[in-house]
Amino acid sequence: MAYHSFLLEPISCHAWNKDRTQIALCPNNHEVHIYRKDGAKWSKVHELKEHNGQVTGIDWAPESNRLVTCGTDRNAYVWTLKGNVWKPTLVILRINRAARCVKWSPKENKFAVGSGSRLISICYFEQENDWWVCKHIKKPIRSTVLSLDWHPNNVLLAAGSCDFKCRIFSAYIKEVEERPSPTPWGSKMPFGELMFESSSSCGWVHSICFSASGARVAWVSHDSTLCLADANKKMAVATLCTETLPLLAVTFITENSLVAAGHDCYPMLFTYEESQGTLTFGGKLDVPKQSSQRGLTARERFQNLDKKASSDTTNATLDTLHKNSISQISVLAGGKANCSQFCTTGMDGGMSIWDVKVRRPRSALVPPRLG
Amino acid sequence: PSSERAAAHQAWARCQRCWSSRSPSSWQEQAQGTMLKVLTAFKSSEIEQAVNSLDRNGVDLLMKYIYKGFEKPTENSSAILLQWHEKALAAGGLGSIVRVLTARKTV
Repeated sequence: MAYHSFLLEPISCHAWNKDRTQIALCPNNHEVHIYRKDGAKWSKVHELKEHNGQVTGIDWAPESNRLVTCGTDRNAYVWTLKGNVWKPTLVILRINRAARCVKWSPKENKFAVGSGSRLISICYFEQENDWWVCKHIKKPIRSTVLSLDWHPNNVLLAAGSCDFKCRIFSAYIKEVEERPSPTPWGSKMPFGELMFESSSSCGWVHSICFSASGARVAWVSHDSTLCLADANKKMAVATLCTETLPLLAVTFITENSLVAAGHDCYPMLFTYEESQGTLTFGGKLDVPKQSSQRGLTARERFQNLDKKASSDTTNATLDTLHKNSISQISVLAGGKANCSQFCTTGMDGGMSIWDVKVRRPRSALVPPRLG
Repeated sequence: PSSERAAAHQAWARCQRCWSSRSPSSWQEQAQGTMLKVLTAFKSSEIEQAVNSLDRNGVDLLMKYIYKGFEKPTENSSAILLQWHEKALAAGGLGSIVRVLTARKTV
């Protein structure tokens, strides 16, 4: 099934397991529900109840098969599957505001949590004491951290914040890893080092994403802009002012193309032209309109006039697959370098899977098969 | 006539500069007044062409001035501003209105 309506309420966040047979999501409450694909249906197989506040972030580590969740109760839990039961381990984040987003590092030996405490908690497992400890990255963040993404080198971390900035920090933890080799973002990477900071756009940064190589980082802001910083061009930032409502989620699907979605309820394609340093809108993805071009009867016209005070014959309902804002995008197949399939979840409680078809040199998005 | 158009262009350029620098509020008020005169000077049929001659930043700036004009309506200003709004919206989309709401620098 290409579009599945899980809930009548928003899906707060979701994460997929490694082979994409199970999805963990928060149904707008304090729990995490895990659904498993059974042919064409989805069956709920687990309910994870531990948080005392809404779960705002879920991430599923593909190799170690551990879940990490964070919530407005200022806590994070690492969940391990023991037999057929998910067992939580509390992680003390030492924050006094809600946690907003969480991401496992690529090597799964650390995870980062962004919060309303205006800092990022980098958590790693301390073998001697058999518990998770965390270190804080604070300066110079001045507001809630809404989104995080790790660089493939397991050290650099991009953070989008409500203070309108995208920043890249070093989250190097000497206890769990070797010193990293230089990257286009810099060579000295002590913990907490600020490697890059964008100049102010004018909107909260809702979502941020490194490209597969890590040389580029893209983010979407509440002022309806999409930006991309290219480390190979001395961190030059390309900005695109979109004609749409603000975007809430963005991901790279190749090194030069991105898919983003948000309050307009449909995903759209963007391409980055490296030589010119420009971002361009590549087209929107929409459900093909059903053939509803028949005229209105006199009765329907009168009803329209009565209900909406309008004799307009155009349909006021959404033609898009998602009937409310899309809040999250995840890559399902092909990775960020060559994505062939991605997933969107939204405030309509629905989850949709989209196929990316590459035709000759340019990518085109193919609408999902319905039914 | 072309002299009016040239004057309108000059006024527009001045308004753009006024917005880019940190101008005192007296300048901003003057710019707004000038802007309203410029927008009123155009005939309804000329509005679309004028809007299409602007680039993305120009459309965003125009939208800011339109909403600023809405804030302090005069006798006939709203009607004209609404005509400009329709064309600016067609060119800049809802994103241009969002950027009016999120802008830190006001006009």
